[in-house]
Amino acid sequence: MASIPLFQTTPSALPAPAPVAAPEREDLARLRAALGEHSRQLRSGREVLRDAGRQVRSAVATGLRPLDRLLGGGFPKGRLIELTGTRSSGRYSIVLSSLASITRCGEPAALVDHGAHFDPQVAKEAGIDLERLLWVAPSSVKGSVAAAEMLLATGFPLVIIDLGMRLRGRRVPDAAWIRLARAAQAYGAALLLSAPFSLTPMAAAGIIRAERARPRWNHAGPPLLDGLSLSMVIEKWRHDREGKRTETPLRISSS
Amino acid sequence: MRIASLFVPMFPMAARLRAEPELREEAVVIVEGNGSAAHVVAATRRARKGGIRSGLTLPQARAILPGLTARGRDADCERAAQEALIELAEQFSPRVEDGGDGVAYLDLHGLERLFVSREGDEERAPEQNLGQALTAAAEGSGMPVRIGIASSKLAARIAAELPTSPTIVPPGEEAGFLAPLPLFRLAPELEAVATLARWGIESIGDLARLPEGEVAARLGEAGRDLLYAARGIDPRPLVPSIPPPSFTEGMDLEWPLVALEPFLFVANAALDRMTRRMEVQGYACSRIELVLKLDPDGWDARSIDLPAPTRDVKTLLTLSRLELEARPPGAPIAGFTFSGHPDKPRRAQLDLFGPPALSPEKIATAVARLASMVGMEHVGSPRATDGYRPERFALAPFDPPPPPSMRRSPRPSRGILAVRTIRPPIPLEVIVDEPGGKPRSVRSLAPPGDGKEKPLEINGPVRVASGPWKMEEGWWSREPVGREYWDVEVGGGVYRAYRNLESAEWAVDGVYD
Repeated sequence: MASIPLFQTTPSALPAPAPVAAPEREDLARLRAALGEHSRQLRSGREVLRDAGRQVRSAVATGLRPLDRLLGGGFPKGRLIELTGTRSSGRYSIVLSSLASITRCGEPAALVDHGAHFDPQVAKEAGIDLERLLWVAPSSVKGSVAAAEMLLATGFPLVIIDLGMRLRGRRVPDAAWIRLARAAQAYGAALLLSAPFSLTPMAAAGIIRAERARPRWNHAGPPLLDGLSLSMVIEKWRHDREGKRTETPLRISSS
Repeated sequence: MRIASLFVPMFPMAARLRAEPELREEAVVIVEGNGSAAHVVAATRRARKGGIRSGLTLPQARAILPGLTARGRDADCERAAQEALIELAEQFSPRVEDGGDGVAYLDLHGLERLFVSREGDEERAPEQNLGQALTAAAEGSGMPVRIGIASSKLAARIAAELPTSPTIVPPGEEAGFLAPLPLFRLAPELEAVATLARWGIESIGDLARLPEGEVAARLGEAGRDLLYAARGIDPRPLVPSIPPPSFTEGMDLEWPLVALEPFLFVANAALDRMTRRMEVQGYACSRIELVLKLDPDGWDARSIDLPAPTRDVKTLLTLSRLELEARPPGAPIAGFTFSGHPDKPRRAQLDLFGPPALSPEKIATAVARLASMVGMEHVGSPRATDGYRPERFALAPFDPPPPPSMRRSPRPSRGILAVRTIRPPIPLEVIVDEPGGKPRSVRSLAPPGDGKEKPLEINGPVRVASGPWKMEEGWWSREPVGREYWDVEVGGGVYRAYRNLESAEWAVDGVYD
């Protein structure tokens, strides 16, 4: 065995540590071989822990694949993201899709519905688990901000403020949005602000604009609405995603 | 049987200082009676140092100490303090007897096993450890509680009345413990005291040595009972009290309050005390009953239901404020009582591999606070209801099911185009091809209401119109709904408009968004 000087100052000179023996893995391999086809159902505790850790995601998926790809997984946790768009831009569909995505994973979510536009039947068709959704309908923007702050402090992993198609009442100062963004950071929650136009570019870590969508009509017979072609562009993001855009179709529910 | 007695000296004063702790260091007296007949029943240490004694009239006391603060006896304060004392005892034993003003007894049977001495401290008996634990718990009650432990209620109470606390009387040594104490500790009747004084009896031990027959012949049945008490014989069993169905806190105010803010200030302290008591018992508040004593006379009672059991004082106070703002009592408030109805707080089991669950306590508090802010009808878990009208809506209390035991990977959504419902529908002026035909041009009108709200503008020619789809609901009822729906594209927006079949009026109740 090579002797190691006691006062070695250059760690690089130390010999590499011997690989840790993992006899349990050999046992596992033997067990898998013995189980044959059924071995796929076998998972060691280490694998379960590794998968669970992998799934502690840093983003909340929107459920719309092109948008998730564009955002690198979804709305980042601990950040305030703005989603802007005019009428029929598909902005509301993104909101409901995000709620559906997180509630179907068994996690709760909160919707601050400033304009009281929520329809449970539409939400159900979009795939939202209504039992895991807390709905609040304040009558002012200020009330919406206060409600969102309360919900963030409660521990909801996703809080969405939907300010409807136009803002009612007085606007809130930038300081309130910054405070809200800090609350999202402190509680590690994804906070989405859906508004017709950008309200707080300073506090928002990202801004996604849903451009005016193109309605798709089926003119084979009497005209029928098929859906919308949703087009989204990133106006602000942390890294190099600014200016990138994506498109995805939205279709009318067949039920 | 071993019994512990909890005793609060000068109970009326202790109860008042529990409600108004800022008076602890002041010269304060509690008086009973009205006007010039009001006399002092208890005084703080500072007042006693100034020469104030029980029995003085209030004018006499004020003459001795001009800056004296006087408070009347307050039944609400004393009841709440007594309940708090009982609850303190219930932290240690399920068998507790309410002994009256400032006195509680608890059965110590079986508790000695819980208070065995630790290593290195073997000399202390379990009862000493228990006494220390009771003393430590009493310090948090806001009252000066003394503790006595003996084999009878009488001996335990007298032990608790002594200045050293805890006082432990060993089993079988009750008579020896009582013997050197002065006779007034037994609280005998005044006539008996005078007779015994003539006999030269001053201590309990002197009385205990007298022959039973002679005492009974001269002092009657009361004398015999007194003799038994002097010998440490107390046959009265411990009668456990039944826990109250609600937790009550309140007080009579020094002067009537006409504004809400000062009332909320004192109400905050009362609610804080009430929730602390509930916390000790493991309860949360599911409903509050607020009774206001009005000036000059009258009562105002109201009940506030909470969306979920909570112990959050801020929430309870906000709900009380909103209730009072919505329905002012109409007269100054001279006193108040909060009664909190207990309920078990929600609990949840956390999972190792699943997504984190929300704390039920936090949810309850948040929902209650949101309800106080936006109204009960604007917060909850939405539910779909039977029917076809898009404006239909139902709410259920938010009580999410437990999260799955394993994290689920997010799945792609169905990419459904959602409809943003417009409540209430916006009336439209529509130009159609022919009666009952396709809409050609639309213009939004002001929605019904006070006219302050600017209407959502939907103006212009219809590019594409798709429909109609008929919807009928409640044709069997008095208010049937019949509509003809159209999807219309106007100025780049796609709307869901309808014509009311009965009135032929048009409106838009949704936007494809």
